[in-house]
Amino acid sequence: MNNHVVSSNTFLTISTYLTGYSEVELLGTGMLETYFNVFLEKFSPETLHYFFAEVDEILLESAGDEDQINAAIAARLIPDSAYDGIAKNIILVWYTGNWGSDVISTQSYQQGLMWDTAEAHPPGAKQPGYGSWANLPIRIPTK
Amino acid sequence: MEKKTKEEFDVVIVGSGIAGSVLAKTLTNAGKNVLLLEAGLQAGMAFDPEAAYKNYQYYIDTFYKASAKVPNSPYPNIKDAQSIDVLDIEPITQTNSPSTKGYLVQAGPLPFGSDCLRGPGGTTLHWLGSTPRMLPNDFQMQTLYGQGVDWPITYDELMPYYEMAENEIGVSGNVEDQVGPDMSIENYGEGYVFPMKEIPQSYLDQVCIEKTQNLKVKLYGKEYTITCISTPQGRNSIPNPAYKFAGTYWNKKAQKLELAKNNEEYEPVGAIWDQNTGHRCEGNASCVPICPVQAKYNALKTLRKSDPKRLKIITQAVASKIYTDEITNAITGIEYKKYKYENSTVYDTAIARGKIYVLAASAIENAKILLTSGIANSSDQVGRNLMDHLVMLTWGLLPEKAYPYRGPGSTTNIPTFRDGEFRKEHAAWISPIDNWGWSWPVFSPGSDVSSAVSSGMFGKKLRSHLNDVLPRQLLLHFECEQTPDPNNRVTIDPQYKDQLDNYRPVIHYNASEYMKKSFEAAKKVSDQIFAANGVEDYTAYSVANDPDYVTYKGQGYNFWGAGHIVGTHRMGSSKEDSVVDKNQRTWDHENLYLVGCGNMPTLGTSNPTLTMTALSFKAAEAILKQLEN
Ligand SMILES: Cc1cc2nc3c(=O)[nH]c(=O)nc-3n(C[C@H](O)[C@H](O)[C@H](O)COP(=O)(O)OP(=O)(O)OC[C@H]3O[C@@H](n4cnc5c(N)ncnc54)[C@H](O)[C@@H]3O)c2cc1C
Ligand code: SF4
Repeated sequence: MNNHVVSSNTFLTISTYLTGYSEVELLGTGMLETYFNVFLEKFSPETLHYFFAEVDEILLESAGDEDQINAAIAARLIPDSAYDGIAKNIILVWYTGNWGSDVISTQSYQQGLMWDTAEAHPPGAKQPGYGSWANLPIRIPTK
Repeated sequence: MEKKTKEEFDVVIVGSGIAGSVLAKTLTNAGKNVLLLEAGLQAGMAFDPEAAYKNYQYYIDTFYKASAKVPNSPYPNIKDAQSIDVLDIEPITQTNSPSTKGYLVQAGPLPFGSDCLRGPGGTTLHWLGSTPRMLPNDFQMQTLYGQGVDWPITYDELMPYYEMAENEIGVSGNVEDQVGPDMSIENYGEGYVFPMKEIPQSYLDQVCIEKTQNLKVKLYGKEYTITCISTPQGRNSIPNPAYKFAGTYWNKKAQKLELAKNNEEYEPVGAIWDQNTGHRCEGNASCVPICPVQAKYNALKTLRKSDPKRLKIITQAVASKIYTDEITNAITGIEYKKYKYENSTVYDTAIARGKIYVLAASAIENAKILLTSGIANSSDQVGRNLMDHLVMLTWGLLPEKAYPYRGPGSTTNIPTFRDGEFRKEHAAWISPIDNWGWSWPVFSPGSDVSSAVSSGMFGKKLRSHLNDVLPRQLLLHFECEQTPDPNNRVTIDPQYKDQLDNYRPVIHYNASEYMKKSFEAAKKVSDQIFAANGVEDYTAYSVANDPDYVTYKGQGYNFWGAGHIVGTHRMGSSKEDSVVDKNQRTWDHENLYLVGCGNMPTLGTSNPTLTMTALSFKAAEAILKQLEN
């Protein structure tokens, strides 16, 4: 079996399509390696291999066409029957910082994307300062 | 083996929560020698900056890593002195009666819904910090509305002590805003201001206020005008230059406690590890369960201001029994079990001795210790009249984004139903507007993520769906005032003990028709507020969602505990029907005082800690008088 397909680069790329966050945003959490290792630990090498091979194929055949990639993801990665649910778990880990109900680390809690999506911050961390809550959230234009 | 402590103190206090800490600070600064027994771990009692910081960071890390971020989640829950925990609440059914999952033995029919923290500093470590005063009418529930009992003191008598409590906690607020039924600036003295200016009301509050301020609602054929006001609270803000008080001191000559005048600007009280940290609330939005910068008040801030030369603290010391003199009925000592280390089953038993004794172990524990000792109970009221605010929650989606999950838990409340003739028929309530989305009832935002993902959503669609929904979440509370019922009570049973062979409290608890009617009423009001704001209602009540589920006129309602554990050793004007007098001294034992919310004969609609702190100052004053005469 060819194991080199299981790479953190591919993990990052497919994570962008699964989460809707860009590579820069995902890398900005500082969590890529940690999360990649969680998947290496939680799933069998076979399942990971098949999953990553499927991802490579989807990326290759769609040649960057987002609609096509999304359609392929919906059909081939998202169903619970596909690869022991790896894809859905990737989304949950990035958004919540949790594996199931376990918090992966103190950092993962603070880096959960759901707080960013809510235009807030994780309670107890990244505090925005006195009185900030009385105003609209500060937004940094992304483009 | 029993050891007797050789030293004798002026006062022995059990518990280092806000009640015990106010006593320790006031008494030691008045020159009295105090022994404080605290059940929690020594590490939490660190005042040396480095150790205090390290311990607190450990709490924060524990909170980050906790899968259920409930109020007690950052703090150690040790088997030698277990805390009541909301994670242990489960439905009480025929096959599960009583429920014995946690420290409490819940006999039902409904489970008691609140927790508290056994550890240095007590429950203020995870309280929210809202500090409205009670209303003058709250002190006369029987006379005015035929419900509950009257207090043995009036609002006016309590006024100077309220000022001491607001000084101690460091309240931020705007007196001029405090307008509502039975509530105006006259409830405060002429020219009175809080130590700090009001905490800014959230953006979400402002969105709600726009269509809710002066909204007319109908309830049972009567019209009411809804108002929204800023909530006074115990977290640091900008000092009010007009505030002119330093701290509370014992005026020996006048034999009373007084607030010292101060010509300098009020200085916010910072973190215990660094006075310069936490001078402003920084918007961590995690006040419950932990404020990372200690901008929010906690009792360790008070305890730290005690006179260290006159204060001896023994931690890991669980008070278990009180001894009395058979002839005089005076208390002769408090037995405590000192365990060696966390969860250890090994302990030494010792007896603490003083001239006066104070129980400040919080309402349920105080009652349990009294019942264990068979004392202070000639009225048969010990353990009875357990109360809480029964919090009905309603939640929905606003038509526009209001950006919750930011700022302190609540910065605005609706006082409209805090008082009125309707109190003859159903409970009154205060309605805080919540700043933290749907996190309380349905564990948002995690639950929103998992349900969207399990429905197959992913990628940009998922991101924009969550970004559309989460910032529109609105949660309202209806904190309904539970009235005293002698059958809502704490008892003990030899079948149920903990690992130090101390009794576990057995709780009997229910919600009366008077309470249930207030849920119906509150829901009717909520519906009208939601309609006026174009809020899509997502409220759903079920026993699966929360075991405190009741039906009224065919409709189901959930209520949640507010953490306001009140009433188990009520204060009154006669020995026959109350446990303590208006100075918080037990009628039966002239050298035993009880402090804490257990003394409150009725609850009112305000969060109870400010009032309880005022009463604790009153108790401290009475103790000083007793010691000096
Ligand atoms: C989630 C939550 C939010 C809250 N928010 C608010 C709010 O916004 N406003 C408000 O007014 N109130 C609020 N409250 C209530 C408030 O926290 C309590 O009223 C207050 O902290 C009680 O203080 P206390 O000193 O009486 O008891 P505690 O703070 O509970 O302290 C009791 C102390 O006694 C010790 N002890 C217990 N048993 C023993 C024993 N056998 N021997 C020795 N020591 C013992 C404990 O370790 C502890 O130190 C909230 C409560 C909760 C749970
Ligand atoms: S909002 Fe944050 S800084 Fe302010 S009191 Fe709460 S936890 Fe502390």
